[in-house]
Amino acid sequence: MKFRCERDVLVEALGSATRAVSTRGGALPVLSGVKAELKGDSLVLTGSDLDLTIQVSVTVAGEADGVAVLPARLAADIVRALEPGAVHVEVGESEARIASGRSHFGVRLLPADDFPRVADAPADEVTLDAGALVEALRQVVPAASHDDARPILTGVYMTAEADGLRLVATDSYRLAVRDLSGVSVLAEGQSVLVPSRALGELARLLGDAGEVSLRLGERDATFEAGEFAAGGGSGTGTRLTTRLIEGQFPNYRQLIPESSANRLTVGREPLLDALRRVKLLAREATPVRLSLGPDGVELSAVTQDVGQAEEGIDAKYEGAEMVIAFNPEYLADGVEAVEGDEVSLETTDALKPAVVRSVERGDYLYLLMPVRVS
Amino acid sequence: MATPSILHVDMDAFFAAVEVRDDPSLAGKPVVVGGGGDRGVVAAASYEARIHGVRSAMPSFQARRLCPGAVFVTARHARYRQVSDAVHRLLLGVTPLVERLGLDEAFLDVAGARRLLGDAPTIATGLRRRLHDELGLWCSVGVAPRKLTAKLASEAAKPEAGPTGVAPGAGVVVVGLDDELAFLHRHPVEALAGVGPATLPRLRRLGVRTVGDLATLPRATLEAALGQAAGRRLYALARAQDDRPVVPAGRPKSVSHEETFAGDRHGVEALVPEAVRQADAVAARLRRAGVAGRTVHLKVRFGDFRTITRSCTVTEPLDRGHELARVVRRLLATVDVSAGVRLLGVGVSSLTDSGSAQLRLEDQGPGWAEVTTAVDAARRRFGESAVLPATVVARGRAPERPRP
Repeated sequence: MKFRCERDVLVEALGSATRAVSTRGGALPVLSGVKAELKGDSLVLTGSDLDLTIQVSVTVAGEADGVAVLPARLAADIVRALEPGAVHVEVGESEARIASGRSHFGVRLLPADDFPRVADAPADEVTLDAGALVEALRQVVPAASHDDARPILTGVYMTAEADGLRLVATDSYRLAVRDLSGVSVLAEGQSVLVPSRALGELARLLGDAGEVSLRLGERDATFEAGEFAAGGGSGTGTRLTTRLIEGQFPNYRQLIPESSANRLTVGREPLLDALRRVKLLAREATPVRLSLGPDGVELSAVTQDVGQAEEGIDAKYEGAEMVIAFNPEYLADGVEAVEGDEVSLETTDALKPAVVRSVERGDYLYLLMPVRVS
Repeated sequence: MATPSILHVDMDAFFAAVEVRDDPSLAGKPVVVGGGGDRGVVAAASYEARIHGVRSAMPSFQARRLCPGAVFVTARHARYRQVSDAVHRLLLGVTPLVERLGLDEAFLDVAGARRLLGDAPTIATGLRRRLHDELGLWCSVGVAPRKLTAKLASEAAKPEAGPTGVAPGAGVVVVGLDDELAFLHRHPVEALAGVGPATLPRLRRLGVRTVGDLATLPRATLEAALGQAAGRRLYALARAQDDRPVVPAGRPKSVSHEETFAGDRHGVEALVPEAVRQADAVAARLRRAGVAGRTVHLKVRFGDFRTITRSCTVTEPLDRGHELARVVRRLLATVDVSAGVRLLGVGVSSLTDSGSAQLRLEDQGPGWAEVTTAVDAARRRFGESAVLPATVVARGRAPERPRP
């Protein structure tokens, strides 16, 4: 394999593909590598940890076809460190030579035969607006769990609703629900559970892509953006393949309260700013307290032996005066995810879930359990 | 150490005094705190009861025989802890260097507080009065240059219950650097920690009755009679050599539990009940200490003594048995246990106060929180094995006792 390519093109492609490369060595050493496959002028880079695979295709000046697996982090670090300009890559028997200007590197290869094959995606594909999907993912993915002890909760539940697609995620402390109306990806009654890590990467990869295609297999989901060139085509694009999570997502509907007695309406930015300040004094897992009353809301935090903070915000409040406490990060995640200038916070009492939503839009809901304070 | 700066504060008949404070009608009466029924043991007795010979750890029936007129009350440990916390807060007002021993004792190092609050005897007298004025409880305070002698001094300051009545104690006894050795040497040798039923006869054979007698013996003699470690230790104590500092009890850094099996266990199935039981025990201890932790550790020692540890960190601090067990089981699943396991250990670190708890969506309605509270209450009353995880009970046999 031999090709020439602009440094910046290669830096970006390596950066994307290596995001799927497993960070903890693991049982299969070859997974610490990135696979490079050249056919004509099309170079496909693949990184994988078996659960998640990211492939990037770019157009280069190809001289000799071939396949090789390079140590991913090292290759990315080398290319990033080079001076801007053309990079020459040539792969020999056991070594890849990377050169630019007067810099020359020789890097030992990993055994290409050991690299896992990427599952073939089914032919049926649906196309989604990438911008809308990215926005929805940004709102839902943070609510998913990172705790591998409950694998089901590490996924985002994608389910067909009457007029579109619904995304749901929960880590059992909060729950985010987002509807994408008019998007029919799944057949009625169909649902899949997609690892949130993969969707987080997808949102990052899509960037300013216009459209994204989705193909659902038995065990995998494949997302593609741009002109991904597989098997000899040419073009610049990205493909992300993720294993699906098996199992029954919890019955989230029964968790959402039908109505709430108290409702706070407050500016999104002022609330986020105040939270950002007050949480400086909410250390060692202490919560931020919200005192809700006719004058609005006052945020406060006390950390024993450290200090305390208070801040009042003008807001509209209908309901009984009450104090309710939240993990400030969880509350900020929900408020941040809301679209629009104003958010509403609906509560029942200090031990029941609160609902955060946009005042202007009804397509997003964030349910948050309070912190019980003694 | 020019002047004494170590205080030993010891509450007088603490549990009984709390009962009297909470129910003033008991004042002046013999009060015995203990388990209910005749099979219980006396946990504490007021001085009025001690006149009749009632002592801690005595069987209840014996106490009833000695003092038929005594008021018997059932111990309320949660309440004692609450009052003990109030005492502790008051002590912390003097100095942060407070080392708590159980519910009713503490060492204080007031070296740094003397400039503000006066010398150690003044601080001791003030503390004693404040504890009485603010909490209605009496204590005895020993002031000495060392923990060893401060503890003996507080004992000397105690009221004394004899057959004829209660003689009020000095309240505060101060032992200066100059008279420290003489004070120490006057004590019977069994006043030293570590001189018990095993050691005492051997010392008697050497003609030792008082600590002073002990101080005349050469180190070699003591080491020959008691073994090297114990001999060396008593040799030092007899010379008032005790440089243990006052260590304020912080939040524990970690809580763990491990157990060696009588025979090696093979296969995950044989280990899961043990792991679940240990997780449950660790969780109970976390709750007792008022902490919860985010990092869970599993330790496995194989038959050939090869030892491995696995750990993982979760988002929210854990202090419930079933939650901890879930993480432990997952860690266990990553270990190849086919070689046979000799020891299993479960631990939790990254601890924070559990004063506030992030609720879970599935917590709505009566759930694990209530179950856990009920389990803790049942165990306090009926013992640790009153409630066990189903995984453990399902094995159809009592939990195995640890190999000594």
